[in-house]
Amino acid sequence: MKHELSVMMFSWEFPPRVIGGISPHVFFLSKSLAKNGVKVYVVTCDFPGAPAHEVIDGVDVYRIDSYKNPAPDFATWVYLMNLNMQREAAAIANKLGDKIDVFHAHDWLVATAGIGLKHVFRKPLLVTMHSTEMGRRDGLHTDTEKMIHETEAWLTYEAWKVICCSDYMVSHVKWAFGLPEDKLVMVPNGVNTNVYESIEKEDLKPFRAKFALPEEKIVLYVGRLVYEKGIHILINAVPKVLEKVDAKFIIVGSGYMKDQLSNIVRSMRLGHKVLFLGFVDDETLLRLQKCADISVVPSLFEPFGIVALEAMAAKSPVVVSDTGGLSEIVDHNFTGVKVYPNNPDSLAWGITKILLDENYKNYIRENAYKKVQEKYDWEKIAQQTKRIYEAVLGEYSKSFWA
Amino acid sequence: MVGRLAEYINALSSQLVKNKVETHVVTYHDFLTGAVEEASGVKVVRVANPVRTHIGVLTWDLTLNQEVERAAASIYYQANKQIDLIDVYDWHFIPAAVTLKSALGVPFVYSVESLEDHRSPPADTPYSMSIKSIEWLGFYEAKKVGVKSEWMRNEVARIYNVPKEKIEVVAPNANSWVKKVLELYKTVAGGLSSQ
Repeated sequence: MKHELSVMMFSWEFPPRVIGGISPHVFFLSKSLAKNGVKVYVVTCDFPGAPAHEVIDGVDVYRIDSYKNPAPDFATWVYLMNLNMQREAAAIANKLGDKIDVFHAHDWLVATAGIGLKHVFRKPLLVTMHSTEMGRRDGLHTDTEKMIHETEAWLTYEAWKVICCSDYMVSHVKWAFGLPEDKLVMVPNGVNTNVYESIEKEDLKPFRAKFALPEEKIVLYVGRLVYEKGIHILINAVPKVLEKVDAKFIIVGSGYMKDQLSNIVRSMRLGHKVLFLGFVDDETLLRLQKCADISVVPSLFEPFGIVALEAMAAKSPVVVSDTGGLSEIVDHNFTGVKVYPNNPDSLAWGITKILLDENYKNYIRENAYKKVQEKYDWEKIAQQTKRIYEAVLGEYSKSFWA
Repeated sequence: MVGRLAEYINALSSQLVKNKVETHVVTYHDFLTGAVEEASGVKVVRVANPVRTHIGVLTWDLTLNQEVERAAASIYYQANKQIDLIDVYDWHFIPAAVTLKSALGVPFVYSVESLEDHRSPPADTPYSMSIKSIEWLGFYEAKKVGVKSEWMRNEVARIYNVPKEKIEVVAPNANSWVKKVLELYKTVAGGLSSQ
C-alpha cells in the first residue's frame, strides 16, 4: 500500500530553540502540513531540556547533537553541525525504510546535510530561502561572506524547487544566484492569529502600566538590534515624533548595536522615553503587541517581514519602510503606512500620522487584520506547499532516480 | 599529489583489480573532474568543490564531502547497490564514509596514514580539536581500522581508546601486503548485519 506523502525537513532552529524567523516558520508549517495529511519529520539542533525525539501534533521532531564537534568559528560550526545532522538524519531515514519522499531544507545553515542526503538517498530536495548573505550584509565583503553566498548558490542549484516567501525574495534570489524563472515559487510566510485571540478578553491595563504612563502612546519595535533592521533610523526619529505626540518607545530584541543605540538615546537625554527590553518571552511579547498603539518595522533589508504580519494579527497598526517583503504585506493607507527606507523624517511622519488620528488608526488595523486572515493563513500555506511537493514528485517519478 | 598517499592508493588499487576486486577510487581534483578508467582497470571519479571561497581547510573539506557522497552514491546505485565496503584514508572523507554507512549500510575501514596529534602537536587549538573530533568519529563508526605499523596501532589505541582487536596492521613493505589487505576487507565485507 502506498504510504502518505512524507517529507523530512531540516532546520537549524525549532522551538524551544528560537534564534530568528525560521523556527516559528518551520513549527507552524510542519504542523499545518501534518493536518493536511503530510507526514513530516523535522530534523533540527538540540536545545537544553528539549527531548531528542518527540511528536508534536503529528510532527516527528528529532533534535541532533549540534555541539559534538568543537569549532573554531561560526561558519565552521555550521558545517560541522551539518555533519552530525546528516549522519543522524541518514540513520533515521534508513530506519524508516523507503518512506521519505522529499527533503526540504531551510536556508544555507542546513545546506550540506540536505545536499548530501539528496544524493545518498536519491530523493528530491527542496529549499526555502528565507534570506541571503548578500542581502544580510548588503554585498559580499569577506571570505566568510563569499563562502556562505557560494554555499547558498550551490544549495539553490541542487534544489528541485526554490521557495521564497515574497515576490521581492523571488526576484532577489533569481538575481543573486542566476536561477531560471521556473525553479522559483512564492509561498507567503504565515501568522497564527489564534494566539492573539486567546488574550482578547484579558484586561491589559495593569500590564501596560508596567511599561508606559497612561497618557503615553506605545510605539513598539520588535527585532534584532542590527543594521539591516534599521533600528537606528527609528532612534533618530524619536525626537521628531516627541515634538508632536507623547509616546514611549519600547524596543524588544537584542544585537550588536545595542550599546551604540542606548548611548545615542542617553546623549539625546531621552532615556525615559526609550525602553530597551532585550529578548522577552512569548507571553510578554504577545501582550506588548496587543497593547502597542503602533508597531514600527524600519528595516533596510527585509526578505519577508513577519514582525509586521504579527502586529497586524494583534490588531496593532503598522508603519513599515517601503522595501522588500514589507512592500507587499502592507498596502499604503489601507493596511498600514509605508515610509521611505533609511529616512527618519519620513518614519516620524508615518508614526505621527497614525497616532494623531484615531479613526484612521482603526480603519488601518481592521483592514490589516482581514488581510492577514485571508492571505497569510497557515492552512492555505500548507496546502500550497503540499501541492509543490506533489508537483515535484510527479516530475521526479519520470526521472531515472525514481 | 600532495603527499605519498596518491602513490600508495595507485599501487593498492591496481593490485586489488589484479586480485579481481572491483575497485572505484573517489578523489579530489580542482578541474580534472569526472569519471575515467585507468589502464590498470581501476575506475576513478574526481570531484571538485562547488564552493570556491573558503576560510580554512575544514570548511573546504566539509563541503567537498557532499560531492564525494554524490560520486560514491552514484557508484553504489550503478552497481545495483552491490558495494561491499568503503576504505577511507585519513580524516578528510570520514564525513562521507559515515553518512554512506548510516544511509546505505555500507561498512567502512578507516585506514590511518597519520593523526592530528602527530601532525600538529599539541593539537589543542579549536581547529585541531575539530579535526580530532572527526578522527574520533571515524574510529567510532569504522568496522575496522587499518594502520601501517605496530607503533601506529598503539597510538590509535592510546589516543582514541580504540580496542586493539579493531585495529589491523597492514605493512605496505611486507610481501604479504595485498594478501593482508584482502583479509582485512573480508572481515569487513558483508554488510552491517554480520557485525
